[in-house]
Amino acid sequence: MSIGDIPSAILPSILFICALAILRSDKGAFDAFLDGAADGMRTTAKLLPSLCALIVATSMMFASGLADDIASALSGVFGAVGLPSEITPLLLTHPISGSASMASFSELLSRCGPDSGASLVASVIMGSSDTVIYVLSVYFSSVNVKRTRHAFPVALIAMIFCIFASSLVCRLFFDM
Amino acid sequence: MLGKCFSLITIASFVYSVITGRLHLLSSAILDGAERAVTLSYSLLGVMCLWSGVMALLRAAGMITLLSRILRPVLRLVFPYAFRTGVARDEIVACVSANLLGIGNAATPLAISAMKKMRDDSLSDEATDDMVTLVVLGTAPPNLFPSTLIALRRAAGCTDPYSVIVPIWIVSTLTSALGVALCRACASMRRRT
Repeated sequence: MSIGDIPSAILPSILFICALAILRSDKGAFDAFLDGAADGMRTTAKLLPSLCALIVATSMMFASGLADDIASALSGVFGAVGLPSEITPLLLTHPISGSASMASFSELLSRCGPDSGASLVASVIMGSSDTVIYVLSVYFSSVNVKRTRHAFPVALIAMIFCIFASSLVCRLFFDM
Repeated sequence: MLGKCFSLITIASFVYSVITGRLHLLSSAILDGAERAVTLSYSLLGVMCLWSGVMALLRAAGMITLLSRILRPVLRLVFPYAFRTGVARDEIVACVSANLLGIGNAATPLAISAMKKMRDDSLSDEATDDMVTLVVLGTAPPNLFPSTLIALRRAAGCTDPYSVIVPIWIVSTLTSALGVALCRACASMRRRT
């Protein structure tokens, strides 16, 4: 077994551990699973309204040609720093909202092809950073903290680093 | 926030399509988009169900507690004040563990209760060192298994949806490490001045 086989072994192994946990414990464990699954269903259902609005908005952005024109206007800059310009809509929406970035991500995958270089870079960015501006505002506003000191600049630097690291690591891992 | 995002994109697209004469393309794109939102949610539903169930089970079986015990020595260096005084320590450890497992739903309330405890301790509207570090970790959490992303990739028809996991491990670990290092550097710079 090589390192490349590990990812596809994770899910079956986790389910194996779950099955053991259910057998070992009293009947509470499977109830916990059912409760959690119902929760996941509710979360997905609750996601649909905002996902609907944002997917409609992003598909308008693509149909109007705005997304492609922004991407091609920035392609010189992006090319110079080694990023695929197709990921521009994702980079604009990803920091702000989870459903908006899901919308641009699935649009990107269907337009560029799910196995294209841009899709791979976009996947790694999606998996390695969260919605930066959203998290900052939710965490701080929940406790009414106004002077956030170095939080914003550090989060921004980490996000920019993440974008470039994603493209670099993808180029090392995949033929692109 | 979401409303503004929606309005901005919609208005910009509308105006742009009028200028470029593509207005007639928009109406079918709008209906397509609404339809795609349903197919996307539909294809996510099963995985979200399974994954939330699995995570609830592992949580009930004490997985977060176990992970917390493993993480404690590392987090001692990342949140020195919380570990010295005990303020919000358990919430912070549980929050980081939940993020690591990719349970965002569980991580956010834990993070907010950690923030509340730290706020009650500092009695100021200025963020403490530990608060900033927790927020930065929340914006770029290390990620062991990005379940939603895998589901999205599968729905889009990737030949190998799992191929990005090892790159994500590398990039997310490096990003979190950089964020934490910068936070610690800023904190110690401030103490010196």
